[in-house]
Amino acid sequence: MKELSDLKFPADVRYAADHEWAKIVNGVARVGISDFAQDQLGDITFVELPQVGDTFGKGDEFGTLESTKAVSELIAPLSGEVVAVNEALEDNPALVNGEPYEGGWIIEVRPEDPAEMNDLMDRDAYVEMLKNQS
Amino acid sequence: MPETGKKTPLYAWHQAQGALVVDFGGWDMPLWYKTGAVKEHLAVIEAAGLFDTSHMAVLRLDGPDAFSLLQHCFTKDLTACVGPSAGPLAPGRCVYGAFLTADGHALDDAIVYKTGPEAFMVVVNANMGPVVAAHLEAHRAGRTVRIQDLSARLGKMDLQGPLAGRIIKKVLKDPDRVLTGLPYFSFKGHFDPSAVPEPVFTVDGTPILLSRTGYTGEFGFELFMAPEAAAKVWDMILEAGREFGLIPCGLAARDSLRAGAMLPLSHQDIGHWPFVNHPWSFALPYNAAGNGFTKSFVGDVVLGLAPKADHTVAYVGRDPRKAALHDADGKPAVVVDAQGREIGVVLTSVADMALGLDQGRIVSLSDPNRPAGAKFKGLVCGFIRVNRLLDQGEEVEIRDAKRGLKVQVVRDIRPFRTARKPLKDML
Repeated sequence: MKELSDLKFPADVRYAADHEWAKIVNGVARVGISDFAQDQLGDITFVELPQVGDTFGKGDEFGTLESTKAVSELIAPLSGEVVAVNEALEDNPALVNGEPYEGGWIIEVRPEDPAEMNDLMDRDAYVEMLKNQS
Repeated sequence: MPETGKKTPLYAWHQAQGALVVDFGGWDMPLWYKTGAVKEHLAVIEAAGLFDTSHMAVLRLDGPDAFSLLQHCFTKDLTACVGPSAGPLAPGRCVYGAFLTADGHALDDAIVYKTGPEAFMVVVNANMGPVVAAHLEAHRAGRTVRIQDLSARLGKMDLQGPLAGRIIKKVLKDPDRVLTGLPYFSFKGHFDPSAVPEPVFTVDGTPILLSRTGYTGEFGFELFMAPEAAAKVWDMILEAGREFGLIPCGLAARDSLRAGAMLPLSHQDIGHWPFVNHPWSFALPYNAAGNGFTKSFVGDVVLGLAPKADHTVAYVGRDPRKAALHDADGKPAVVVDAQGREIGVVLTSVADMALGLDQGRIVSLSDPNRPAGAKFKGLVCGFIRVNRLLDQGEEVEIRDAKRGLKVQVVRDIRPFRTARKPLKDML
């Protein structure tokens, strides 16, 4: 596994304690998992995605990631309706490992309350949390 | 994660390479390296992989009654177990089987090597050296045999994959001699070069025991050597294999490869239940008619237990999603039949990442005639233990605390395995 210093934590996304990230562009929140999370899980082999139109509350499970290690729940970092899912993951789930913040995004959500973004951590707070865990 | 377990001679190497090191039965072992378990699995299917297996335990039996004790305790009939003509176990040959308790349960599985006229090496699973040694002692009954546990005095590694022959050729001294007349389940040389008439050395003079066996279903070798030589041999093989795409592989790839190859994991797929009604009947000494055993041995009561014992069968699912074997409270994942009846438990559930489905048929990346456009996204596979015999093709659900997955009962899992290919075709 990588050292924290070898992992990428972009400053333009916000992070949840469950290791999902979210980023709002044009009123839609894109959601994925952090570089730390994918590194912990190992190779992602299958992604169970929700349907477009599904709604989730913050903290709800919206899908699963199958990895060589285990099955992990995907936890919604904010409430809203799913407006898109990353269909590329069906053929290439390893995108979550290779580019967790770009091609490996998982869903897009129309946030019910964009202010929930303020409850998520910025880069520094998230890295601090990871440091304290290790 | 605190790492306080037992360490193999290659532990420092694994750490330095950034392997994910986990506890495996009290041993700190690499689960995968930085390449990840999927690439490691595929390397063994398409090229070669190198596994640290120094955690395995090794016993040595010698003396005039060593044969008699093993014949009494091991499930294979050592007078009739080699080749299609069922010849006796001769020096240079090895055979897979199990040690059973008196009530027919699997104590452990093992490979027995005949290293000399009155000498045998017995390879059992991690930590099982003292257990199997005590079992043999308990059944000694006055036999003249010395039983030694060599586990702490050995390093071991497995070179597996279709290009393993070309790699080992570069590592051996006198490779043409060593790699001639070395069929599947035979071996040459010894880690103690004085123990055999024809020792085998690596190019730098390290004595090794080279065995044409493995735990992946693919072509390859297991190598035994002194622990202080392990790191040197490991480096030498990796260097020799670089041009062939050889990579080090961890326990995750070992587990997924062996499951796809229909090989049981001891204490998981075989264990504290009668060792019968499973895909490994070749490990029992059935007679030609299949209605009796050719010898009596410790645990042969399994023959009589068979009509009422559970059945262990292999299965394959539709995608890589697997069942968690136990939930947080230790409750096992269960098997549910088409009528909704709970009929058993899941023993192994792991994705063979070289597999895909093409029109309902299992296809492998190693199939030279694989259908154009077939996708190999991995299929969950493994073994279930159920209370009735299931038909091949029957669909059941494997259900853990979280979800149920539809799987199909199969007779075999990964097609086109290379383990048995003639050595001369692999150089």
